[in-house]
Amino acid sequence: MDLKNFNRALWVYHMNTGSCNGCDIEILAVLTPRYDVERFGIKLVGSPRHADVLLVTGPVARSMEDSVRRVYSQVPDPKVVMAVGNCGIEGDVFHEAYSLVGPIDQIIPVDVYVPGCPPRPEAITYGVVTAWVKLENLAKQAEEEEEEEEEVA
Amino acid sequence: MYILNYQYAVWSPLIWLVSLAVVSIMVFIWRSRGRKSYKEATAQTDVFLSGAKVPPEEERHVKADNIYWGFFESLKGLYRWMMKPHTGIVNDYLLWFVVVSAIAILIFFVAGS
Repeated sequence: MDLKNFNRALWVYHMNTGSCNGCDIEILAVLTPRYDVERFGIKLVGSPRHADVLLVTGPVARSMEDSVRRVYSQVPDPKVVMAVGNCGIEGDVFHEAYSLVGPIDQIIPVDVYVPGCPPRPEAITYGVVTAWVKLENLAKQAEEEEEEEEEVA
Repeated sequence: MYILNYQYAVWSPLIWLVSLAVVSIMVFIWRSRGRKSYKEATAQTDVFLSGAKVPPEEERHVKADNIYWGFFESLKGLYRWMMKPHTGIVNDYLLWFVVVSAIAILIFFVAGS
């Protein structure tokens, strides 16, 4: 992976929108010594204001809709959203539930989908790397736009 | 400059000033290397409260001396109900005293007979 524009640690904010906790446990497994993505600079942070990636699990319960929108708007640009688990992607076994407003891409734009119930840690890691590549492209675009603006000015 | 020299510690204002300057420079460098891609006056600079809506500052301000804030807040309903009889008028309190005494005496006689 040749990172030139987004060549720093990747900080991820994890948000549970009503998940059964299966995906969340797998996300924690990604951080354990067996997979240990922190050695690549990928770490979970406690605030969306520090994050580059918003990682969302769960099918989005009605009561969480506002929170999801608010948290998404609090992540600074450039940002990428990851939907982890079948529930967040298409509702899975909860897709007909009255209490849901999801899946996640009905509420906020999603860039990376990681299917599975729950997805394996390898799949989540692959998803994060895909998000990183997307961030690299976004950062590159932003840099080119800035250069163009400078040239015009 | 006179330096107080105790057996176990040294007190010098100069050392403290130099330490303060060093820490300030470190903080300044650290802060200046922070992220600049925030969009001002958007949600990106709002207070983060676990995704919940943050009330305006004047509504969320809690005085430092109000150590019972959580207690009052959780028992707000009870306090609202309890404050109604507490009018501050002595006549009302005496009336409460007479009424409660009458009920207590009634119960005493009924139970005792």
